[in-house]
Amino acid sequence: MIKQFIRLEWKQFFRASYFQKGLAIKILLILAALYFAGIAIFMGIGLFFILKKAIPDVDPIVSVNNFLIYWFLFEMLIRYFMQQLPVMNVKPLMTIPIKRNTVIHYLLGKTTLSFFNFLSVFLFLPFSIVLLIQGYPILNVLLWFLSIICLTLSINYLNFLVNKSNAIFYVIAVVLFAAVGLEYYGIYAMSKPIGIAFNTLYNYPFLIVVPMALLVTLYYLNFKYIKRGFYLDDAVSKKVKEVNATDLSWMNRFGSIAPFLKNDMKLIWRNARPKQVMMMSFLFLFYGLIFYTQEAYEQMPAILAFASMFVTGGFLMTFGQLVPSWDSEYYKMLMSQNIPYRKYLESKWYLMVVAVAISFVLSTPYLYFGWKIFGMIAAGALFNIGLNSFITLFGGALNRVPVELNVKAKAFSNTNGFNPTQMLIALPKLLLPMGLFYIPYKLINFEAGLIVLAMSGILGIIFKGFFLRKIEQVYQTGKYKTVAAFGEKN
Amino acid sequence: MIITTNLSKKYNDIEVLSIDSLDIPKGQSFGLVGNNGAGKTTYFSLLLDLIKPSTGQIKNNNVLVHESEEWKPFTSAFIDESFLIGYLTAEEYFYFIGELRGQNKSDVDSLIAQFEDFFHGEILNQKKYLRDLSKGNQKKAGIVAALIGNPEVIILDEPFANLDPTTQIRLKAIIKDLAETKGTTVLISSHDLLHVTDVCERIVVLEKGKIIKDLKTSTETLRELEAHFSGAEAV
Repeated sequence: MIKQFIRLEWKQFFRASYFQKGLAIKILLILAALYFAGIAIFMGIGLFFILKKAIPDVDPIVSVNNFLIYWFLFEMLIRYFMQQLPVMNVKPLMTIPIKRNTVIHYLLGKTTLSFFNFLSVFLFLPFSIVLLIQGYPILNVLLWFLSIICLTLSINYLNFLVNKSNAIFYVIAVVLFAAVGLEYYGIYAMSKPIGIAFNTLYNYPFLIVVPMALLVTLYYLNFKYIKRGFYLDDAVSKKVKEVNATDLSWMNRFGSIAPFLKNDMKLIWRNARPKQVMMMSFLFLFYGLIFYTQEAYEQMPAILAFASMFVTGGFLMTFGQLVPSWDSEYYKMLMSQNIPYRKYLESKWYLMVVAVAISFVLSTPYLYFGWKIFGMIAAGALFNIGLNSFITLFGGALNRVPVELNVKAKAFSNTNGFNPTQMLIALPKLLLPMGLFYIPYKLINFEAGLIVLAMSGILGIIFKGFFLRKIEQVYQTGKYKTVAAFGEKN
Repeated sequence: MIITTNLSKKYNDIEVLSIDSLDIPKGQSFGLVGNNGAGKTTYFSLLLDLIKPSTGQIKNNNVLVHESEEWKPFTSAFIDESFLIGYLTAEEYFYFIGELRGQNKSDVDSLIAQFEDFFHGEILNQKKYLRDLSKGNQKKAGIVAALIGNPEVIILDEPFANLDPTTQIRLKAIIKDLAETKGTTVLISSHDLLHVTDVCERIVVLEKGKIIKDLKTSTETLRELEAHFSGAEAV
């Protein structure tokens, strides 16, 4: 039975959409995984010596134990955001004559092979080996290492329970921040009692029963949870959300593009993926803080121009690059409906312009950094409206990857709507504002740079009709390909 | 109304559709039957310019479908669920289609009011998004949306599949009414020979992409079709 499961798993892995994606992405993903694994191994080996040097009067194993809790909390956070739940693939197995318990054990067992569990192994195995070489007692080190693995797996299973409830997530996040804060300001060192606990675990190896018991308990809880939800109408199926209908008829003043604008508003509010993108684009607003606060960048205005463009361009770039893809689920309908392409594109353009305008208003606190910085943000916003929007729409036309609207993007598992074309088209978006600013800045002065960057945007607005017509042609010629590509379900 | 000449569609040198000539006059209710892979959906997709013909052409009301977009204002279709916008409620979807077809809210309201018994209380005022409706109810919403804006040509792919018996009977009445009293050209495809003979004045049988029968519906048609398909299956 297990053999067949494994065969299924193999096929699922190699036939998954992300594996069929371009070679470039495969290499990127593998490199990313190798990078993290490499860092972990390196850290594991170096940890002993670094600690010995940094805190010479404390035994490295004691220091590690003291800070172990933060590693685990960090791990919990990453897992929460990045690890997929195993319950999703249950549906096709439900009607097959296999004992329910076997399927659940298999599903849970499978998760031990997650990349995140290996992260701990990669970190602590080399560390333990160094300890042994340094002559620490074998039994203590070995059982300590096994305890760590048990705890890692416990977190693995805890994460699945946590993922089902936002409440538990917030509790853990608050505890983590509070602990770091208290420790940082020297009010109360949370790591002390927990560190003592881990040290006791090391000194009395038989205490390994405690993490083992924890692991078994969490495994059992998960088992019970999945078993209870092993029905179609329960955990497996999605929750049906009640509609929150809002009256958007005030948008009718936008005339012929109003139906599309109204639709796009609903698209963003009612689907997980676009919502996620919108939240992300909000973070772009803070991009400037990284650059404006560093003195090193003050002498590099080209970099600052680039950062200023990012401040107001978050939504434009993250949402805009997937422009026809957002409508991929019903693209066939749009293509056979009474829709001029022009209107469709224009409405997306207005959406991006409004987003840039809102971002610009929200960016007024950057005045704190002075008029020069704010002038750059303003010029960047104009560039975004007038040129970047069209480059992004043009890039979207070449992008034919369908997007599942109501599925959140998760790292490593969902590369929906991400391809090499996107990366290529991103280059002019990044280099153009730098060049437009830097060349006149070098030749004349700072103000000239600002004016040229802003003028490029204004020119773009003036020639809007021309740009839209060109993009429309790209859409027209690619129509059949796009329809076919969006029709493929991944 | 719809004139097809020398139309063919090939995928990797495999011909999936080849129609030398097919004329569908205005106001005809036209049925397309055939087994899986016979080319029914391919033909409809070509009619809607969703795929590119390998050779030949379709003229819809004297508009060359693959060259001009002028056929769109008077043509509407429901092929599958990908014609629905999942995150809208049924009403919002109807209004959206209405706006695209130049109908205001009250036009749409008065049209969908006629279909109250067709909806059977399961579509309107449900506070549910279309993606959360059952397959059958999604189909009902899609079919009615295809009727918005008085189109002259309506294309429905497998309209009877997934519908409950009551709704199937109501749908037959709706389609008949469209062709007979409003002069609308209705194209449907179906696997259900009984329904198709009930509704359509003319039935074309496709097999491996070719037209092998073109029948004017009479009392004999159903028997002829049944004989054909049971014979085809036996071989």
